[in-house]
Amino acid sequence: MNAIYESIRVTVQGLAANGSLPQAFTYQFVINALLCTLLIGPLLGALGTMIVVKRMAFFSQAVGNAALTGVAIGILLGESYTSPYISMFSFCILFGIALKYTQYRTNLSNDSLIGVFLSISLAFGASLLLYVSAKINTHVMESVLFGSILAVDYTDMNILLVVTLIAALVVVPLYNQMLLASLNPSLAHARGVRVRLLEYVFVVLVTIVTVACLKIIGAVLVEALLLIPAAAARNVSRTLSGFVAGSVIIATLSCILGVLMPMQLGLPVPTGGAIVLVSALVFVGTTIMRATLSRFRATGV
Amino acid sequence: MIGPAVIFDNVTLELGGTRILDHVSFRIEPGSLHCIVGANGGGKTSLIRALLGQMPHTGQIRLEGEHLGPVGYVPQVLDFDRNVPMTVRDVMALLTQRKPAFLGVSKIHHADVEAALRRMGVLEKEHRPFGGLSGGERQRVLFAQALEPAPTLLILDEPCANIDEPGARIVEEVVLELNAKGVTVVWINHDWDQVRKLAHSVTGINRKVLFHGVPSEVLTWAEPKAMAS
Ligand SMILES: Nc1ncnc2c1ncn2[C@@H]1O[C@H](COP(=O)(O)OP(=O)(O)OP(=O)(O)O)[C@@H](O)[C@H]1O
Ligand SMILES: [Mg+2]
Repeated sequence: MNAIYESIRVTVQGLAANGSLPQAFTYQFVINALLCTLLIGPLLGALGTMIVVKRMAFFSQAVGNAALTGVAIGILLGESYTSPYISMFSFCILFGIALKYTQYRTNLSNDSLIGVFLSISLAFGASLLLYVSAKINTHVMESVLFGSILAVDYTDMNILLVVTLIAALVVVPLYNQMLLASLNPSLAHARGVRVRLLEYVFVVLVTIVTVACLKIIGAVLVEALLLIPAAAARNVSRTLSGFVAGSVIIATLSCILGVLMPMQLGLPVPTGGAIVLVSALVFVGTTIMRATLSRFRATGV
Repeated sequence: MIGPAVIFDNVTLELGGTRILDHVSFRIEPGSLHCIVGANGGGKTSLIRALLGQMPHTGQIRLEGEHLGPVGYVPQVLDFDRNVPMTVRDVMALLTQRKPAFLGVSKIHHADVEAALRRMGVLEKEHRPFGGLSGGERQRVLFAQALEPAPTLLILDEPCANIDEPGARIVEEVVLELNAKGVTVVWINHDWDQVRKLAHSVTGINRKVLFHGVPSEVLTWAEPKAMAS
């Protein structure tokens, strides 16, 4: 894989050097960042449509908080503190499964339960990290929450690539069943859908996607990219295909523009912030469209 | 083709400490058109959901027959999230195919989906947002989805609840058509005239089995007394 990244880098840098591409592309970190966002945009954009339908808006934030505990455990177990992937994946997957398991035993709705888990995991993770960070610097917490897209290395990219492939292989054949399982569990079950199993699969999927994106864009931005593009697309779509395609396109464009614009325009804005701002602009635009164009306007209270 | 027999054997169902079904036993013959009647809250929907494997219960529910094919199910309420942007077609694709619904109705199912929607008189609504349909229109779409793939057992939970007179006639026709082909039909129905007219057999349920038999025999005397108890 690394050889492919290298050849892409050399090609792009060549194009930048002879002026076919903007100056920014001479930097390797820009190219890496763009390659990542080209995966993250479509991935989070597509998953976001289901997150919105399933009302799991704050789930990835909860996973991000859980990752703090994962990092702390990783440090305690002696994993590298810049990328303790084994501990993060293991702990967060357990966390996601525990959340769903609790939900099936308490009948609490997704949003309430996620809220409970989110608070607990933040308190627990932050405490444990502070306890551990007597030895290690506290930047870890910041990097889990906000990521560092310009410091991505090939390991991060490989993990992201593998997780994206897994997500595609799981979601494409199961999209209908997963959506139906939350839209109408009874009808889904009558049609042979393994409703609970699929809910667990989805939770684990969102968990590993979130963890894979953490170091690159951080929990806060994962959250934003799962929500804002899907919400924006929902504003202006009447069909499922419009919803999904819109969300994917908005997420991907926000990522690309968010990486390139600050550099091209010399704005002192961090990449993550720029990505959110671009998608937020699109959201505002679609909201105005929905409010003013009669074909989107809904009536009633 | 002849659809399966459905056997309820001593089915007891408790939820949150209350007994909703109490030792319910009866048999639905293969290929018959069977109606279930009873007061609101009597446990009809619960019984059907137990049959579908969606409710914990004691006792046994068995399907017997050579053709244990697809089960068509029309739930009592379709509480699809109105906020999800989906057209009628999207809903049908979501329910009937594996190919992601956002990629459109797959070629193999296209003709069948159209036929089912046309049969229910909602084909011209196929590009409308599902959430924007009227209650009766939605009920028709819901009925259409139960026709695809062609079922051997059709389970209907008050399919005519919101439906107008012409719609109800279509439902009747389609049910009779399928039943004539051998499909076993289990139909929760509050319209006793319709039950008398169409059903081969009927069971009255209010926690327990109140009566069971041929409509012309059991529905005559049972109506006021048994329903009150
Ligand atoms: N999930 C549940 N938890 C607790 N109680 C329930 C649940 N589902 C149904 N019940 C109760 O079981 C009883 C039977 O409900 P059910 O829906 O089976 O009645 P029904 O015969 O279908 O009524 P209707 O004619 O109004 O549709 C009701 O008293 C209802 O409150
Ligand atoms: Mg009912």
